[in-house]
Amino acid sequence: MDLLKRWPTRRAVLAAALAAGAGSAALGVLTSRAWRPFPADRSPGGWPSPLHTERGRLAHLLRRATFGVTQEAMEQGLQDGFDRTVDRLMEQSAEPAGLISPSDPAQGSMLALNDLQHWWLRQMLSTPAPFVERMTLFWHGHFTTEYQKVGYGSPFIYWQNLTWRRLRLARLGPMLREVTIDPAMLQYLDLSGSDASDPDEPPNENYARELMELFTMGPGAYSEADVKAAARALAGWSTPPPNATVDVVVDEQSQATEPVDVWSQPLTGVFDPGAAYSRKVAFLGRTGRLSLDQVIDQILAQPATAPFIVRKLWRHFLSPAPAADAVRRLAGAFRTAGYDVRALMRLLLKSPESVAPDSYRALVRSPVEFMVAAALALGAEPDAAAGLIADYADPAGQALFQPPNVGGWPGGASWISPAEMLARFNFASALLDQVATPPPAAHAADLHLDAVLSAPTAQRLRAADSDRQRWLVVLTSPEFNLK
Amino acid sequence: MSKQNRSLRQLERRDVLKAGLVLAAGGEALGAGYAAVPDAFARGIYAANREGLHRDQVLVMIQLAGGNDGLRTVVPLQDNRLHDLRPTLAGASVSGALELDAQVGLHSALTGIKALWDQGRVAIVHGVGYPDPSYSHFESIRVWETGDPSRRQVDGWIGRMLTRGYDSAGHPLTGCACGATSTPGMMRDVGSTVAVIQDRQSYGFAEDDLEAIVGSVYRETPGIYGALFDTTVATLRHTIAELDQALPVSQDGSDTQPSYSQSPENQLAQALKLGAQLIIAGTGVRLLHVTLDGFDTHYAEKDAHDQLIGFLDESVSGFYAELAQHGLASNVLLATWSEFGRRPGENVTGGTDHGSAAPLLLIGDPVRGGRYGREPDLGRLDGDGNLTHTVDFRSVYQEILDVHFGTDPRQILGGSFEPLPFLKAT
Repeated sequence: MDLLKRWPTRRAVLAAALAAGAGSAALGVLTSRAWRPFPADRSPGGWPSPLHTERGRLAHLLRRATFGVTQEAMEQGLQDGFDRTVDRLMEQSAEPAGLISPSDPAQGSMLALNDLQHWWLRQMLSTPAPFVERMTLFWHGHFTTEYQKVGYGSPFIYWQNLTWRRLRLARLGPMLREVTIDPAMLQYLDLSGSDASDPDEPPNENYARELMELFTMGPGAYSEADVKAAARALAGWSTPPPNATVDVVVDEQSQATEPVDVWSQPLTGVFDPGAAYSRKVAFLGRTGRLSLDQVIDQILAQPATAPFIVRKLWRHFLSPAPAADAVRRLAGAFRTAGYDVRALMRLLLKSPESVAPDSYRALVRSPVEFMVAAALALGAEPDAAAGLIADYADPAGQALFQPPNVGGWPGGASWISPAEMLARFNFASALLDQVATPPPAAHAADLHLDAVLSAPTAQRLRAADSDRQRWLVVLTSPEFNLK
Repeated sequence: MSKQNRSLRQLERRDVLKAGLVLAAGGEALGAGYAAVPDAFARGIYAANREGLHRDQVLVMIQLAGGNDGLRTVVPLQDNRLHDLRPTLAGASVSGALELDAQVGLHSALTGIKALWDQGRVAIVHGVGYPDPSYSHFESIRVWETGDPSRRQVDGWIGRMLTRGYDSAGHPLTGCACGATSTPGMMRDVGSTVAVIQDRQSYGFAEDDLEAIVGSVYRETPGIYGALFDTTVATLRHTIAELDQALPVSQDGSDTQPSYSQSPENQLAQALKLGAQLIIAGTGVRLLHVTLDGFDTHYAEKDAHDQLIGFLDESVSGFYAELAQHGLASNVLLATWSEFGRRPGENVTGGTDHGSAAPLLLIGDPVRGGRYGREPDLGRLDGDGNLTHTVDFRSVYQEILDVHFGTDPRQILGGSFEPLPFLKAT
């Protein structure tokens, strides 16, 4: 392997490999354990896949559906087997500690962005149910909402996180109903305040368009007239007014207080019939005075909806390029199951495509997934690590509650830019400074990288002369940044 | 330092850097391993193609993200239909406008850009759009980024120019997105290396080991993202090395110059400040992309849009003044772009929904000041209540490619469009 240090030699090696028709000649494999040698079922130019072994499949699943491989999760998985492990993920459940103390409801109206980010990251780092967090993160990017527009001084985006985690595996229909009247969403996409009572005044179209374009059907599956019709049919829903008044200290010295209107508990949007449209609309082939439920029923009746959701979940959990026939198959099953997301996720994760050799390392870990996985691998203290991740999330490209726009995070190649990779590298360095005693690095490549390393990574790992350096190689490697 | 000296130093730095890179990259470039990794981000970056673009011209694309309201940017002064369409928005917009002539005025906050207009340094192109417009942010952004309304092209038009016209492997700072974390779609191409710098202060490795480790590990990475990883990390290392030479982060903060804006919220001011520093430091940067976000003004548009247009004005004015002060303004062209304009009719919440055509601003010494194209007719809105475009956006790109960069626009745009002579012949 040392020969590879000099490029003419590497050239010769590669040329020879090419001549022999081996696509992955540049790969070195740590020899310490299991599933070696690799069979020939590898994609051209891709990583050699360990997915023909139970351990390989479990590690692959844990990286995609949780925040990476832990010794405990792997042992449990080997006991249960792959299928049962998927079922167990679907059953996972754990609530985060509340961010707002019931005895101090005013807190909810003073939530700082950093408090919210820290709260969620801490939950990701300490939860026994990481799949709950991964699904909540998926929906946060899909039905996305941004802190600043929702507004400082309201607990709405915090409530939204609680709602998305409750609905993480629900049926799409009820989910869309709650999404539409979620106070943070009402604020973010401007449905709140829209008014269609005067047929001559156009209502606000923002939510109506994105409901179809980004949340359910995709562009091209509806007309501009459908956008206008939905904007009319949905007008009248607004954010709930504050439901309590508390005395808040406004001057520390004199302890003077002022009464402040607050929301003391999570509420949904309220409907004002006076702002509603009183006539018939023609929406996606149905004409009438349509209610919120009827708007959603029409969307669920469209052939574009199930494949759209399947493709979005596929790109998040399986691979960047969903296969058309598999999408058809899963979309059919999704509709038959009454749009049950839990049933769809089970089918997706157990599908042959999810453990096909070419799905191995076919996805880029998002910045938050990467950082949480790194912190868990090092056994970092959750509070301190959450603070560090919150600091690096923005330069790495994924500040929670601050998506780039209404499309959420596009993922895939967009996670790979000079600025974003730099933030990942510098985070790894800062994390290693923070964690006083990381676990021994000897087995890190086995546990976290399946011992499938490129020749340069393998070489650099062998050359490392301290555990800190070994961890730095593992965490910054392309292998660890993929899933 | 005289301008001549600067460009000489610039040249030397470029050559030195390129020589270093060719040596460092030799193994990677020649390794047959690339043939073994047949993925989209083919390693073509090392194949220098230096045809065409010889002049040291700079282009700064300013994205007004979310869909900028053209009717509040370049305001029709005489058309009473504007008041019918916008009962709450039109009044202040028209009365406060900075009059350019009897027909149109600029938004009241564009005082700096108005001063540049008075000097003949601003071209306004009216009614820019494309046929069968999409009202989706993301579809329309892609059309503008790729320069392809048929939506088949995936590479950005600037990325294609970068790959065709510049030896980007030898000079990774040729294209740079400032103030961003992800690579703008306009600059993306299978063969282009693009620097992305959020801010200068944090653009460096936290420890020396990191540079050495990632420099050795990101080579011949397999898989669909392998080449993108390798190219990105190589670009990162080389641009950090160059900036440490050309634009060192000051230890004591003494080189921190005042920003163009008082407001810390003005992301464009910070991004353009960095862009100006890159130009002044002689990094050889040619293609810059910066973004001002927040133009999706469906609700309570007046205050939000006023603030954003003010941000645009102070950023552009500050940027121009700083370059002029260094005698470097003559080759620098700024161009605004936005995925669409907004609906002429306002909605019930004091905002405007997604629209179509809108004016673009082209600013700088290379510009032949004046108004180009034709204002869309407020009396002839389409069935959805939107304007019909009068100028194809590719006519704007064509003029930039042809006159500013002296390259063949057909190579980049795949066709010819109505000429629009808003640049001075060189």
